[in-house]
Amino acid sequence: MKGLLVLIAACLLASCAALPQVLPPAGSAEKNIRCPSPFLAEKTRLIHTIEVRTSDETKTVMIGVTLMDPFSRTITCALMSAEGMTLFEAVRGPEGMVVSRAFPPFDAADFAVHMMDDIELIFLAPQGLPAKKGVLAGGDQICRWHKTQGGWMEVSAGRDGRMKVHRYSEGGDLKRAVTLAADAANPYSTILLQASDLVNYALVMTLIQSESVGDKPGLKESLP
Amino acid sequence: MKKTGLILLLLLLVLPAAVRADDFEQLRKDSAHIATISADFVQKKSMKILSIPLISEGKFFYAAPASIRWEYQKPLRSVIISGPGATRRYIASGGKMIEDKTGGAQAMKIVFDEVAGWMSGKFNSNSAFTATLKEGPVTQITLKPSGKNMAGMIEKIEITISRKDRSVQSVRLVENANAETRIDFQHVVINQGIHPSVFQDVQ
Repeated sequence: MKGLLVLIAACLLASCAALPQVLPPAGSAEKNIRCPSPFLAEKTRLIHTIEVRTSDETKTVMIGVTLMDPFSRTITCALMSAEGMTLFEAVRGPEGMVVSRAFPPFDAADFAVHMMDDIELIFLAPQGLPAKKGVLAGGDQICRWHKTQGGWMEVSAGRDGRMKVHRYSEGGDLKRAVTLAADAANPYSTILLQASDLVNYALVMTLIQSESVGDKPGLKESLP
Repeated sequence: MKKTGLILLLLLLVLPAAVRADDFEQLRKDSAHIATISADFVQKKSMKILSIPLISEGKFFYAAPASIRWEYQKPLRSVIISGPGATRRYIASGGKMIEDKTGGAQAMKIVFDEVAGWMSGKFNSNSAFTATLKEGPVTQITLKPSGKNMAGMIEKIEITISRKDRSVQSVRLVENANAETRIDFQHVVINQGIHPSVFQDVQ
């Protein structure tokens, strides 16, 4: 039994080997650290241009519409060509996922799940309490969560005000790195998502419109 | 009596088709004078997820028989250049225009060959669509997919044509009950010279 415990402990240690080291904050207790939070606090609709890059080369640009309800954690999204043709449309919430439209290549197996996971990572706050709070070697404040479905998620804030969201596998491999704009008023004005998967790719998202979806809908921002 | 009734029925069935064919033939003759078109356009995309339509603006150029430049200026700058040979799609990235490498341009060629046909009055030449024509203050053409190829993609396309000069005034592309795209052409100029570079260079 003792041997098994040692083995489990060794496995857990090994599994976190690639995660960046979180250092205790200087001069203040860990519990006093406020986790950086760029995440949406109200139901919001965002329209972005999405530039798709592989091997440092832009392949195409699309328009993405996302409607997010952080309370029910429901995501509705649509991808359109620059010409306005709807290529993909889906909703994911507590009831599950419904894909109402998916033309090739967006009809590929697991595309919808991966896309919803990416949207959730970017816009919705992680659930539960952080497993660790502290600072990175460079001084950036960081909070780390262990996700219930496995893997790790980190949110950090640099001294320039730029927030980053990272997702790691259970074994500590970096899967997604999200860098948000250094704009405290609207960190979602530009978003860079770098994905390390079977195919590495990057998405550069530039905000066209954002709108709070309440009782009185109205455009909050409209960029030229 | 029975025979006369049958003939009448046959005439009723055949006559509308004959009229339709004549109307489309007339439309084609009326549009024959169009050698070039340049216009601004406003595109309104409506769908359930949007509270108000997403508006795009751009410029359109056409030269007979099949050269098109379809350029969006905002919110996302992109240019499609389509001609008898090939269709290329360019998108703004990092301050310059780069060619779309996804193969989407070839899919667009099918669309823009069709659009080039509309500009020269050819609305019923594509067997993928069933075309109907209605005359009123403007001429309205409705195209409905005739096969299953476009099932779930396009429900219908409505095109309005000016009765004066036979230029296309608007296109309404209905995807389904919840999504449609309407394109209105403005400042339409017909038969004014367009420099060939418009259909070659992206700039």
